[in-house]
Amino acid sequence: MTDRKIVKNVTNIIEGLGQNPNSESITILEDIGTNSKVDAIRELTSRALVKRNEHDSLKVVITNKGKGINDMSTVVAMSTINELLSLEDKTEALNVLTDTVEMHSDEEVRDNARSVKALMALS
Amino acid sequence: MANLSIPSIRERLFNTSRHEQSTQRNSNPFAASTFKGNVLTADVFESSTKQSQPAFTGKLKASALVGSISGIGEKFQNIINSVVGFGIRIKEGWNRLKNIEISFDPMKNKMVSAYNSAKEIMTTPISEVFSSGISAKQVAKMEDMAEARTLLQDNVALWESVA
Repeated sequence: MTDRKIVKNVTNIIEGLGQNPNSESITILEDIGTNSKVDAIRELTSRALVKRNEHDSLKVVITNKGKGINDMSTVVAMSTINELLSLEDKTEALNVLTDTVEMHSDEEVRDNARSVKALMALS
Repeated sequence: MANLSIPSIRERLFNTSRHEQSTQRNSNPFAASTFKGNVLTADVFESSTKQSQPAFTGKLKASALVGSISGIGEKFQNIINSVVGFGIRIKEGWNRLKNIEISFDPMKNKMVSAYNSAKEIMTTPISEVFSSGISAKQVAKMEDMAEARTLLQDNVALWESVA
């Protein structure tokens, strides 16, 4: 069983990096958080990036295969979609989704983006 | 001397109401029965509403009271004097305090930083105050991104090692 203190520390670091105004924090989250082998860490990272609601942070969880809405873990993907649907201002997320649907090279990524965009339009 | 003639006896026998004596009625239930022929006209039962009122008319008591009061005057004067003196001292102290201006900069800075840290503690969740771990607030304010990267890397590695 994972130590509660470790979980708390990782959660706080990811949350803190999500709030840090330095754009370098997005790269750190992408490099370490979204590539972790632990589903919970990937989930925490994706949610922190969505909450940030910036073009670059949203791009990480929408356009990358195997990350965010395209994660192989259903829990991580659904959690990211849920966070996207909870956004108060969805403008930037819709812009990124539209670009992905129109321009991404991978069909699976395009399909996922189209589905999420449809869900966001309905919510 | 009683009139014992036959007509008078006959009249008394047949006209009894004429000779009956009137009896005074009051709250005394025994008044009707009389005691040996004497009617109790006064109300011998004490009224429940009657209140006993102590009278303070004795000259001796009044003089004793005046004597005990006359000694207090001096004591009162002393108490009043000490209260007035205390008030004057307080006023002087207050005026002195009003004129003091905090112009010592290090002290001012210390006070400001103490206030700020107290304010920060007040706004931090209680779980974060008592835990010795890393808080999200600390990381959000981090300027050294290399340090932030190492911090996340180490903690993620720790989690992955026990997962």
